[in-house]
Amino acid sequence: MTFTNIIQNNARPGHYECTVIENRALSRRYYLLVLSRPREMTNPEPGTFVHLLVPDANRFYLRRPFSVLDCDDETISLLIVEKGEGTRIMRRIEKGRPIDIVGPLGSTFPKVPGKRVLALGGGVGLAPLYYYGVRREAKDCETYRLLYGARSREDLFVDGFDWALDGVSFSTDDGSHGFQGNIVEFAQHEFEQSQVDVIFSCGPNPMLKAAAEFADRVGVPHYVSLENRMACALGACRSCVVLTRNGAIRYRTVCNDGPVFDARELVWKELPQA
Amino acid sequence: MVTNNDISVTLGPVTFKNPVFIASGICGYGEEYSPLVPIEELGAVVTKTITVRSRLGNPPPRIHEVPTGALNSIGLENVGLEAYIRDKLPLLRDKRVGVIVSIAAEFEEEFVEVADKLAPLDGYKGLELNLSCPNVEEEALDHGRNPEFVERITRIVKERVPDRALLVKITPNVTDIGEVAKAAEAGGADGISAINTVVGVDFDLETGKPIFHRGSGGYSGPGILPIALQKVWEISRAVSIPIVGMGGISSVDDARKFFIAGATAIQVGTSLWVDPELTKNIIAALHEHPEYLGTGTAE
Ligand SMILES: Cc1cc2nc3c(=O)[nH]c(=O)nc-3n(C[C@H](O)[C@H](O)[C@H](O)COP(=O)(O)OP(=O)(O)OC[C@H]3O[C@@H](n4cnc5c(N)ncnc54)[C@H](O)[C@@H]3O)c2cc1C
Ligand SMILES: Cc1cc2nc3c(=O)[nH]c(=O)nc-3n(C[C@H](O)[C@H](O)[C@H](O)COP(=O)(O)O)c2cc1C
Ligand code: FES
Repeated sequence: MTFTNIIQNNARPGHYECTVIENRALSRRYYLLVLSRPREMTNPEPGTFVHLLVPDANRFYLRRPFSVLDCDDETISLLIVEKGEGTRIMRRIEKGRPIDIVGPLGSTFPKVPGKRVLALGGGVGLAPLYYYGVRREAKDCETYRLLYGARSREDLFVDGFDWALDGVSFSTDDGSHGFQGNIVEFAQHEFEQSQVDVIFSCGPNPMLKAAAEFADRVGVPHYVSLENRMACALGACRSCVVLTRNGAIRYRTVCNDGPVFDARELVWKELPQA
Repeated sequence: MVTNNDISVTLGPVTFKNPVFIASGICGYGEEYSPLVPIEELGAVVTKTITVRSRLGNPPPRIHEVPTGALNSIGLENVGLEAYIRDKLPLLRDKRVGVIVSIAAEFEEEFVEVADKLAPLDGYKGLELNLSCPNVEEEALDHGRNPEFVERITRIVKERVPDRALLVKITPNVTDIGEVAKAAEAGGADGISAINTVVGVDFDLETGKPIFHRGSGGYSGPGILPIALQKVWEISRAVSIPIVGMGGISSVDDARKFFIAGATAIQVGTSLWVDPELTKNIIAALHEHPEYLGTGTAE
């Protein structure tokens, strides 16, 4: 069973100025950035991202890609983890300030009506899978179970989210909340309890690789959302490529062919595991 | 208010509606950037450099940000001449977009092959010989350092495409850029494009190794502006054919400086990723102030 033909990039990106509506700390390293949604901006599908210009910059910054966490007529929300310089500056940006974005961009998690989906979100990898869950796409699934894993309780933010999905469960590496262990161990545990037709995953590369090995072992189709360094985010500059194998070996772009890929098409050993 | 003064520029046998182009490698084969930049409003798009055979390019990482710009190590990934002619060139033909096709080759025979295959086709106004890619294994793809070779290749290609604008893009990574520009002029080039990226490197402090697998990469963006202006200025004193200046342009004022240094047209690269309105703003400013173009060579 494969849904490769329905991994699509239908995004019609634009260049917009938004306003910060809310910028709120969720935990030590995570924050929620809510932007005004430009009127002309097309509806972002789950899996797509926006390319954001670091505000108030006094040096050169490439834009930063962030998955859409949620969106309604008025707002577009991002879940951000503080990583380096850019995400540190963004953390301090105040309500009412302008933010320059390009989006929506990239491919989407496939629509799989009638299927039982197990979705694995590690860290900020939660964003596109949460969005899938709260959108209509998930309601067309037979079930949509979201497992959300973090290092420990402090990195999990349970409050302020609409967890009214089919079922959300948590895991922490240290067992301080929910299942103790990494998220792929958790997936394995869940897999033994209930039927799964499709796996989605998003998170750090080592987690995705482990998830891919697991999906292969149990013979279930698996779709992953990847990260990579980007420049244009339009498939033009070929900066953000990953090696894929679909018949021929070739480089495909995470920004435009992805970020969502069929896991079986990726050459995993070539993906950086840091 | 936008005034519509004539700001067209002529490079050899061809006229472009304005002197603002997008640089090779930035906007792919042209179409990719059309969601953000109305490419039909540009003087031209210079498409990604193509080679006779397709190239896979370098393993990632391929882009690395620094506070003054970016280093890249794409390695001339491209679809190859045949696929370009079949799949990419026709995409822009009906769109009234000024296209300049960028080409690179290893040997004389390959330049001949590319020129012969492109010569009878329509859908493009010019060719840009990329004699200056720093990001590849093959020494021979970086022959911009050898004036005799530059002159010979320029002549061979120009003979085959006499009715197109032939630009020769040269590398800043030489001691005397004027020499190389003179060689292109002697070979019959209609213009000199400069500069390509500046060779640069950065290291990962954790591993103690270069960021890129190939070690060095090509440095572009705001930080190379003074280097690019210097090179264009030097070239303008060495040759009398037009110069298409680029390197680090991130504002209207940056573009104006190239015209002062002696450029006839400009190309925008890295900063377009940050500011998709950049070409539009430069074109609007030139329409309003066509005198920006005519400032000629600063002594
Ligand atoms: C499709 C996609 C979706 C993403 N979604 C989210 C999200 O929802 N929430 C979130 O917090 N993060 C997300 N990321 C990662 C996020 O883009 C990086 O953490 C961010 O760019 C780091 O910027 P910085 O200035 O803080 O870090 P620095 O390390 O200072 O950045 C230096 C350069 O590296 C790039 N970079 C560094 N890490 C990454 C990375 N992991 N991926 C891509 N580029 C990187 C930066 O963009 C910048 O160009 C996503 C990445 C991609 C590709
Ligand atoms: C990612 C990237 C890819 C490039 N690819 C090419 C190329 O294929 N051919 C070429 O002639 N120049 C290429 N260049 C160089 C640019 O065309 C331009 O000369 C250079 O980037 C300087 O301009 P800038 O500072 O405005 O970017 C590339 C530059 C970048 C950043
Ligand atoms: S970032 Fe330019 S091709 Fe993906």
